[in-house]
Amino acid sequence: MESLKKLLRNLANHSKRKKVLLVISGSLITGGWAVDFFWDSAVLFNTLMIGAALVAGSEIARRAWRGLTNRHTNIELLVTIAAIGGLAIEVYWEAAAVTFLFLLGGWLEARTMSKTRNTLRDLINMAPDTATVLENGSRRDIPAREVKEGMRVLVRPGSKIPVDGIVESGKTAVDESAITGEPIPAEKQPESEVFAGTMNQNGSIQVRSTKAGGDTTLAKIIRRVEEAQEEKAPTQRFIERFSRWYTPGIVGLSIVSYLFTWDLELALTLLVIGCPGALVISTPISIISGIGNAAKKGILIKGGEYLENAGKVSAVALDKTGTLTRGKPKVTEIIYLQKEEVEAGITESPQSLDEATVVSASDLEIQDSPEEIHELLYWAGIAESNSGHPLADAILSEMPKSLDLPEPDYFRSHTGLGIEASYAGKQILVGNVKFLEQQGVPFGQTIYSQIERLTSKDRTMVLIARDSRVVGGIAISDPIRPDAPELVERLRETGISRIAMLTGDARPVAQAIGREVGIEEIHAGILPDQKNDIIQKIQQESGKVAMIGDGINDAPALATADIGIAMGTAGTDVAIETADIALMSDKLMNIPEALRISKLTLRNIHQNVAIALVTVAALLTGVFIGSIHMAAGMLIHELSVMLVILNGMRLRWL
Amino acid sequence: MKTILRSDELSCPTCVDNIESNLNQTEGVSQAKVHFNTGRIEVEHDPETVSEDKLVEIVGHSGYEARISQF
Repeated sequence: MESLKKLLRNLANHSKRKKVLLVISGSLITGGWAVDFFWDSAVLFNTLMIGAALVAGSEIARRAWRGLTNRHTNIELLVTIAAIGGLAIEVYWEAAAVTFLFLLGGWLEARTMSKTRNTLRDLINMAPDTATVLENGSRRDIPAREVKEGMRVLVRPGSKIPVDGIVESGKTAVDESAITGEPIPAEKQPESEVFAGTMNQNGSIQVRSTKAGGDTTLAKIIRRVEEAQEEKAPTQRFIERFSRWYTPGIVGLSIVSYLFTWDLELALTLLVIGCPGALVISTPISIISGIGNAAKKGILIKGGEYLENAGKVSAVALDKTGTLTRGKPKVTEIIYLQKEEVEAGITESPQSLDEATVVSASDLEIQDSPEEIHELLYWAGIAESNSGHPLADAILSEMPKSLDLPEPDYFRSHTGLGIEASYAGKQILVGNVKFLEQQGVPFGQTIYSQIERLTSKDRTMVLIARDSRVVGGIAISDPIRPDAPELVERLRETGISRIAMLTGDARPVAQAIGREVGIEEIHAGILPDQKNDIIQKIQQESGKVAMIGDGINDAPALATADIGIAMGTAGTDVAIETADIALMSDKLMNIPEALRISKLTLRNIHQNVAIALVTVAALLTGVFIGSIHMAAGMLIHELSVMLVILNGMRLRWL
Repeated sequence: MKTILRSDELSCPTCVDNIESNLNQTEGVSQAKVHFNTGRIEVEHDPETVSEDKLVEIVGHSGYEARISQF
């Protein structure tokens, strides 16, 4: 009695009901075959099979009816008609098998689809529900999404950070793999940025909240990934158009073939295979798995369309500064001209210009360095202090803290060349070789050859002249990222035949970088809007182009390319929104990884479409030559759906 | 009010129409959108007339288990 009640309760719960119905109808079918084998009883066999068909069919018919009341004809309706028809023409085993297999297939598909959709649930579950807020010296636990901007949140070691924010006090290491996909924990100290959903490891920190709940980077990632998964790829749109006429087409075919052959079983079998199941699910399943898997590695792909495009990329254009290089220029060497002693104790600026000495910045102890270097940095510093140029930052960071730089009396910037300034009646020129030559400053042979030597080693040279006399030069380098050569090599391995570097920097520097990383095609000295033209030219010559940049400065070029990939975008909403593929971390190897996942996903889609089409063709042929009946038709149909789902799920483990 | 439901069980895109029309025919629901790929169900509804739990029940009647989600 108790178990009967439980059974009835389970029947009322839709997801459990399916399981219960499956077990009952499955046992009836097994029982039917058993009585047939042991007692050879056709009556009992048929009774049990009818029972099985009714049990499994009830659920299918219920859904068919629900569809009809909403004025929808669905697959369940076709299966119901086929099953009723089967019972009418007394093929009881077929009717039982069709309904049982359809129900079993649906249940298995729902379970596997649910596994696939789980990738994102892991991400959603990353964010903790509560935050410990510090107010007037007291602690209070509140829901994480109710934390207001500016509130101070305490994060203990071993717990997840509940909001986006800035560390106010404390030091720790944070596992940011949820956001960046990077397994190595990042060091955090006051003023460091932290993200909701990341794991605080060993220190206690206080965080000033900047964003909470649905505004956090994690929430944006999830939303972005979901939008991407819902965006239909061209293949999916095509298939949906196809399947829209496939089902009615099969129903029509079923009626026509019945009118011609008067073979009711043939007509019913056609109805059974009328669901384009494997076909409609072929593309979505691959895209959900592919995009979900990429997201786990910190690679956000905007949608199926971009996935298909990225899978077809044959050329890659890379921005130099900030992508191939670290983007933080540093002074590497200083060239100075030794002063000559004219008389005892009185020095003069060099007259001969032949004695140029090079010191590398790593050997340079500013305190003990020769007076000439102090002077050189002093004059360069005065001129650069107002310029705001990236190279100026590198030079100014070399200044000894004790040095007080006065404001220049006069200042003029010559774009792309250098700076002209004056202080205390002295004229200062700071700029490249071209600039000093234009201004009529003479060079000695020694310094010239030193400049050439350094420039060919990827250094950018800034020369300093005072009152039309060269006092020396500062060599600045923006070193390549250690994984840049491996990136280029891997891109070539993955079949990218053309790799180009785009940069606003001078040619010798760009060529030196190109040699270090292994890129021959270099477009140097170009302005941002010229990048567009070069990308269009590569598109005409080589097909689909991926442009890789930092996402903000390169925005137009990223938009022009077939695929725009932005690097290191964690925390920069603009790049996440605009790039076709956004890499959350700075890890260069994620670029070939993104292209690889795209290629494999694209191939997976094609495999699935092929499996689905071959199945449909084979089923139709089999039905018409009479070797496939209802049960086998349903079995093959459900198997093809499962095969497509399992094939798509492979992408989760790439 | 907008409520987000999630169902992991959607296995055939035809069920999308089914759930959508079941929701849309419910009094108090102004708009329902079902995303097949992610299993996300967005419902614009008047919580006075039809509660969140009622929405879950309606999706259940269409044959799919769903739950309420924060985002």
